[in-house]
Amino acid sequence: MSVRVLRLSLSVLLGTACGFPAFAHAFLKHANPAPGSRIARPPAAVLLTYTEGLEVPFCTVTVTDSSGATVQTSKPQTVPGHADELSVPVHITAPGKYTVTWHAVSVDTHRTQGHFSFMVSP
Amino acid sequence: MDAAGWVLLRGLCRGLHLAGFFSAFGTMFLSATLLRGRGALGLRRMAWAGFAVACLGGAGWLLLQTADFAGAQSISGVISALPTVAGQTRFGMLLLARMAALLLAGLIFQLGWPRPATFIAFGAVIAEAWLGHGGAMGGFVGTVLLACAILHIAAAALWLGALPALYVALKRLPEDALYSLAQNFSPLGVACVGTLLVTAMFQFVLLITYPRALLTTAYGATALAKLVLFAALIAFAALNRFRFTPRLPASRPALRRSIGLETAFGLVVLLLAGLIMQLEPPAMASMAGM
Repeated sequence: MSVRVLRLSLSVLLGTACGFPAFAHAFLKHANPAPGSRIARPPAAVLLTYTEGLEVPFCTVTVTDSSGATVQTSKPQTVPGHADELSVPVHITAPGKYTVTWHAVSVDTHRTQGHFSFMVSP
Repeated sequence: MDAAGWVLLRGLCRGLHLAGFFSAFGTMFLSATLLRGRGALGLRRMAWAGFAVACLGGAGWLLLQTADFAGAQSISGVISALPTVAGQTRFGMLLLARMAALLLAGLIFQLGWPRPATFIAFGAVIAEAWLGHGGAMGGFVGTVLLACAILHIAAAALWLGALPALYVALKRLPEDALYSLAQNFSPLGVACVGTLLVTAMFQFVLLITYPRALLTTAYGATALAKLVLFAALIAFAALNRFRFTPRLPASRPALRRSIGLETAFGLVVLLLAGLIMQLEPPAMASMAGM
């Protein structure tokens, strides 16, 4: 009886767990502005949310306009209460395509990187 | 050295750090339980040896990880990034806090209080789980992985960590105490093996996901090597339990030899464990570049 219960419990737990992906490094979960989005008003900051907690002092983010000029005004900032988020203040004055290139270090010590773009078009 | 070489070196340092931690904790645990009241076995020296190995591996891991975090190409680059790693990252703060806790446990053990020393060392050992994948992730999967890591580390530390002390004790214990020590260690070993198997199964499902990855990815191949060595460890444990223990004290030299070999295999498993934690699990390889 107890063996049957143990087997059933394990099957349920494994089956449940199988339904979820395991992002065992910090990957971009979502961003604001969103990748590929077109927005009317320039943002004051780019907010990046990852699948894991971050070692923020070693994360880098650059935001460049279509000519390659950087528009971020400081290093990535922590977001209080959200260990998996980075905020990057930007100064965007002109419409156009902006590219965000990020390098993240997660608290399990792994490095990841990626990039995406968004459009500002009033 | 190329990137793979640095990953290998970091993994070996992490594994060495783990092995030292396990050995110090396992020695304290055995002293507080199965060897309680048995003096003059050289266990204090053994615990300090474990602490020294943990420090050596930890220092190597800290320096190499700092170099990786900061992208440092020189010693001066690593040194200038060390205060940031030590004071502003979970990795640095947890590594140093765990080392301080193990030092405290060692001092308490030295003063002749094995039980409180064991509790403190146990906390420092399982805190390693928060430097792994489960500790970094949130949500249901993260919680399951973290719980698995805690149980996996605890079981491995109890079993493999106690082996060096067991080896030393078997040499110095009087004949009448040999059988009960070997006999009482067996149920603990069985419980640890069971826990390791169940938690490894969960980790396989969540981090590896498909069996082919055991042959086609570095993470999978390392996990497979660990599994093969784990099978060898179980074979040693069975040999000790069913062949050598019933024939004590006549089989004392054979049992010590077998436990010595088991300890050596255990060390290799822990070095592989350090390496696997530096590698990318197959479950998320497809996410790279998102």
